[in-house]
This record gives sequence, structure tokens and C-alpha cells, in this order.
Amino acid sequence: MSPIAIIALIIGIPALIGLIYILITGSTGLRRFVITRIGLTLPMVFILATLVFFIMRVLPGDPVTSALGPKGTPEIIERIREQLGLNDPILVQYGNFLKDMITLNFGNSLTGGHRPIVDEMSERFPATLELVIPASFLALSLGVIGGAWAASRRKRATDYGMRVYSVVIYSLPIFWLGLMLQLLFGVWLNWLPISGRIDPVIGTTLDRTTNIYTIDSIISGNWLALGSTLAHLVLPTVTLGLILSGVFVRLTRINVIETQHADYISAARARGIRERVLTYKHALKNAMIPVITLIGLQVAILLAGAVLTETVFSWPGMGRYLVERISSRDYTAVQSGIAVFALLVAVISLAVDIIYSLVDPRVRY
Amino acid sequence: MTITKEEYPTPENEIASWEQDLDRVGFVRRALRARKWYGADWWFVAISMVMVAGFLIIAFFPDPFAPFGPNEIVGSSFLAPGETPPVPVLIVPQDSPVEELQDLAVPVGSERPAIAVEQGLPTSVALREQAQIIDDQLKDDPEELRLRVRIERYNTLEETLQAVVDEEVHAAVVQSTDFEVVKSQFPTLRASESIMGDTATAGGFLLGTNEIGQDVFSRLIWGAQVALLIGFSASIIALVIGVPLGLIASFVGGSLDRYLSLLMDSLYAFPGLILAIAITAILGPSIFNIIVAIAVVYIPTYYRIVRGQTFSVKAEVYVEAARSIGARRTEILRRYIFPNVIPSVAIIFSVNVADAILTGAGLSFLGLGLPPTIADWGIDLARGQRFIQTAWWMITFPGIAIMLVVLAFTLMGEGLMEIFNPKLRDR
Repeated sequence: MSPIAIIALIIGIPALIGLIYILITGSTGLRRFVITRIGLTLPMVFILATLVFFIMRVLPGDPVTSALGPKGTPEIIERIREQLGLNDPILVQYGNFLKDMITLNFGNSLTGGHRPIVDEMSERFPATLELVIPASFLALSLGVIGGAWAASRRKRATDYGMRVYSVVIYSLPIFWLGLMLQLLFGVWLNWLPISGRIDPVIGTTLDRTTNIYTIDSIISGNWLALGSTLAHLVLPTVTLGLILSGVFVRLTRINVIETQHADYISAARARGIRERVLTYKHALKNAMIPVITLIGLQVAILLAGAVLTETVFSWPGMGRYLVERISSRDYTAVQSGIAVFALLVAVISLAVDIIYSLVDPRVRY
Repeated sequence: MTITKEEYPTPENEIASWEQDLDRVGFVRRALRARKWYGADWWFVAISMVMVAGFLIIAFFPDPFAPFGPNEIVGSSFLAPGETPPVPVLIVPQDSPVEELQDLAVPVGSERPAIAVEQGLPTSVALREQAQIIDDQLKDDPEELRLRVRIERYNTLEETLQAVVDEEVHAAVVQSTDFEVVKSQFPTLRASESIMGDTATAGGFLLGTNEIGQDVFSRLIWGAQVALLIGFSASIIALVIGVPLGLIASFVGGSLDRYLSLLMDSLYAFPGLILAIAITAILGPSIFNIIVAIAVVYIPTYYRIVRGQTFSVKAEVYVEAARSIGARRTEILRRYIFPNVIPSVAIIFSVNVADAILTGAGLSFLGLGLPPTIADWGIDLARGQRFIQTAWWMITFPGIAIMLVVLAFTLMGEGLMEIFNPKLRDR
């Protein structure tokens, strides 16, 4: 079984069970919300797919000519165009593209051994997951704690300090932060490796089942590989996590401040509850609800950040794949990569919205 | 006891004195005094405006700030900030009377002096130029001395110096730092002063040089142009398209609004950088294409904010009042809705310029945005990454430049947002 199928099963089956559970046991309002939301996701995927298609096919510039470069004689170009179906009417091409996207069958890549693109992605996608998930947790915990702290000390040095932090973090180019961390911890202090996912020598001893190296090494009990993987994971995760944390500080701060003006907070204050309890228990809990929805919107920042982080740290994930294939002008791979990113965005925001509707009954229809 | 008329509190007395003063002063002073009301946010906006003004001046007039041109090769490669570049020095035997290049001049007609240099170094260019300068000066000299050097090229530093020891040549010209290393092997040789006089680079380069000997600082200054050009033009194009679309969608409503919103929401949810990557990958690298790609990415931001604001303003009583007395649609749009939407658009614009600069730098860092000859911060960072082990200054300073510019625009947006958003103001 391919690694991507295993991951799909690990994530997909519980998600599906959860979804069915919600649909069966949920209230009418919740059920209607979930169904409508799924109904809205389909046109979004469709629009994004169409957009990708038109960017890749309709904008000027011929992929085959540029991929072959000077060695492309007219006959060869014509043959490859025929193979790729580029000579078909545009609507037929569009239909084929949609079919490929639904069946996740993207054909073979034009460069790099001409392997099926799905196989290539099944090696790259787990790497991106391994980077993105811990980074999100880091960002969320830093952001929520920092934001609540700032809100509890409104208009004082801490508050302004946290605001400056979030603005400065927001202004940092993520690739530059990565470079600076590499310089400090990799080159000057020589504590951590600065590129790749695992030490190449140790990497040969690792059985790759899921291609998420931390999970693989734990399953196979290869502690040396686990150590190497974790060491390689630190800098990229911190880079991506820090950049994202700025947004969460902002969001949490604003929401906690807005919640602090609510009547029930004044009532609790009148009962003599301490300010700290007020902030971290009463206000933060309710302020977290809008923050959860905004996590969905941060997916875009997260994925864009992942592309740059992967490039800086030579992390062989989806973003790096995209950039590599653009420079080798492998247009089938680029088109499929962007299509997969579109699917990801749609699915993650769907998941976040459904979780949100479970947490906050007010959004249901 | 009665209160005399003078003692009644007049409305004027109830207003704080600085607020009264506000009515009597002009715009500049009013803006200055507003800091008492807005506190730190006022300072955010003020500081960022000064920074933005500074960057604009640098972008429009880079010449007085940049010591060198963007693609000018001005010294040896990989000079650390402030490090004095190695200078070409004249190497002669210990007992030789020659002190400087000029001493090698000979009368017209006699054998030209031979000078050894190492192949492939800038020393031979420096030597030829310097000899030409001295020769031109000597032309006016009545003694009829001329300096026409014969340059002998050798493969290695050791061979070059050995040629002086073996008296194959009269002297050699090598880099001062190179000579320091091998000095002990050639006890019979000594180095004179630099063959050039005092040069402009005597104090080294402020931020060092890159791998081909361009001045990092000058490239930073020239890079401001590109960054601000991309940031401003992309945001303006997005604004010009996004704002009218948002107004139309919310004002016409119906199915147009529904489909347009669906399209814009999809675009908005998609990672901007990846969309821009796709567009530039197809269009090819150029400044115009990068601007188009980024502009497309930011249209939905304006659309969404304008549409949302218009909807909420439309529901206000004063709009309904205007409609009920028969105001035309364009009138309502122009006089009631547009002025209420503008402040949010200003905030978004400021934040957007920052975003666009970041995205542009990201694209050039990935090698997609611009042709590599242009002085751009993202390109400089990508070039510097290959030399992270040796040249920390190449990756440090372009990043700081990006951060400062983006920070200026973000701070301005942040400050304006707090000032305009009464929800967050303390009640």
C-alpha cells in the first residue's frame, strides 16, 4: 500500500466516521449546516480547479516548447503535445483535467524519471504534513497565550510589547527568518542541522511505511532515526510556527478584549472573581470561538509559508516539489501540484467550519 | 446667595482645554495634538509615516545614497562589512631601490620593465590602469621617462614571487593579503605600499561585498525601487479593480453578487503566493508579470471589505432617509456609501502594500519573479543562501531591508486600524 493511502486512511476514516456520526445524531440545524457547507465546498473546488486550468493552459507560453528547450524539433514537440492531449479542443482538455483531478490520476511527470505524479507526491506530501502540523500547534499555543496575556494587561507595556511582536513577526519574510535561524543555530552554534529531513546515512536504515519519519521511526523502534528526524524538524517548525504565531496573537488579543466588555464578565467581576481567572477562564474560552474559524483562513498563510520554508531548508515536501518542477518546466507536475493545494485548502476549511459548528451552536442554520 | 451669571458652567468650560485648542489650530497642529487622544497608536502611525517617507525618498533618488551602481563590480568578492579590501602591492627584492610603481619608469627607448602577476586576478587590470595614469603624468616631465610595463602572467602565487627572486622580472604585483600568507617563504622579498594611492574603498564596504564583488549596501538602496514599485503598483491595480467590483456586487445584489462572491471567496481562500507562483511560472520572469500576478491575488481582499462595508452602510437609517426623499442610486453611492468605505480601504491598502512586497520578495527568492540581473532583495537573499557558511552579511542585510519596509506599512495599517475601529477603543 502506498504511503499516501495509509495517511489517507489514518486521517480519512476517523473523519468520515465523525461526519456520519454528526449527521446521524446531530440536531436538524447542525445537520443542515454540515450538508450546506459540504455543498458549498464543491463549487469552491470546481472554481479553483477551473482557475488552475485556465492559468496553465490559456495564458501565453507553451509548456512543451519551454520544457524541451533547444532540443525540441517540431516533430518531437508535436508528438508530445499529442501524447498530453494538448491538441484536443480546449473543452475536451478541461473535461480530462477535471476527471484526472477527481480520480487523482495525474499521469506521469515530464522530468525526473517520468514516474507517476501520484507516486512522487506520496513521498512529498507526508513531509509537508510532518512540518505543518507541529508548526500549527506551536503557533496556536504561542499565539493564544501571548494574545490573552496582552489583553489582560491592556494599554500597558506588555500589551504594546505583544502588539509590536505580532507586527514585527508579520513583517518578517519567512525565508529570512529561516536563514537567520540557520545562521545562528546551524552555522555559528553548530547545534542543529540546516537542511533535509534526516541524516542521509541514518536515513538508509529507516523503514518507510507512512513517509512521516517520526511515525516511521517510532513504529520500527529506530531511535537513532527518531533523534535525527527530530533534530532536523526543529528549525523548520520553529520558523513556520513563529511566523504564524503573530497572526494568532493579534486575533486572540482582539477577541479577548472584545469579550472583556461583555456583561457576563462585568457580572463575574462584580462577584469578586480575580482578574486572572476572568481573563484566562471566562474571556479566553469565549474568545477562542472566533479564533477557531480564523484558523481556517490561516491555511493560506500556512501553505504559502510552507512553500518558502521548504525551499530554505531543502525540505522535500509539496512546496519544494512545486518549485523544483517549475524550474525544470515540468508543467503536468506543476498543474497537479497546484490542483492538490487547491483541494487541500478546500478540505481543511471545510473541516475547520464543521468543527466550529460543533463548538459554537450559534452558527448553525 | 445667588450665583452670578459668570459662574454658570458654560459648555466651553466642560471641554478639556486641549480639545478647545483643537478648534483654533490648523491641520498640522491638530494632527500633532491628536497624540494625546490616541497615545501609542498615534506614535505607530507617525513613526511609520516617517519611515515610509524615507523609503520613498530612497526609492526615487537612490543616487545620493548609493555609493555604487547596482551591478557595478567594485572590489574583491566576499569582503566582510568594513573589511579593508586586499590592495595590490608591488613586490621587489629586499635590496632594490624601488619604492613605488613610478620608480620603475625608464628613459624612452630602453627596455620596458617586466612585472609579474598571477593569472586570473584583478591585479593585472589594476596594474595596467595605474601604470597608464602614471605614464600620462610622466608625459609632461622633461626627463623623458616613460612607464610602459610588460605584464608577465604566472599560474600560481608562488611562481609569480619566484620569478622576482630569479630576477626573470623586475617586480611583481600581488594582493597584500595573499603576500602576508606566504611572506615567510620568500625572505628576500619585501612589499611596498599599494600601487594605487588612496582609493574610495580605503575604509572597506559598509555592508560588505557579495560573491562577485558588488557592494551589498548599494544593491540594498537600489532594491528599494523594485520593492516599492511592486508593492504600490500591485496594490493600486488590485484596488482599482477590487473596489468597484465590491461596490457593484453589493449594490446590484442578486445572482451577480452571489457568483462574484463565490469566485472571490475561492480566490481569497487560496494561498496567494502559490497562485502568484502559478501565474509567474507561466508568464515568465519580469517586473510587469510579477505585478500582475500579485495584483490578481489581492483583488478579493478589496472586494470583500468593500462589499461587507457597503452592506452594513446600506442598512443605516440615513441611507434609507436619503432614498425616501428620492435620491438617485449614484447619488447614494457617491455621497453616503463611498465616504464610509474609504477608511477601511485605506487600512487595507497599507497592509496590502506590505503583503505585496513580502510576496514579491518571496517570488524572487524562489527564483520566479524577476530576471536575476535586477537589484532585488529577494534575489540577493537567494544568492546569499548558497554562501551561508562564509558570508553572513549577504543574507542578513537584505532581509532587514525587507523587514523595515514591510514593518513601516504594517505599523501604519495597524495604527490606523486602532484609530478607525471604535469597537476596540476603551469605553
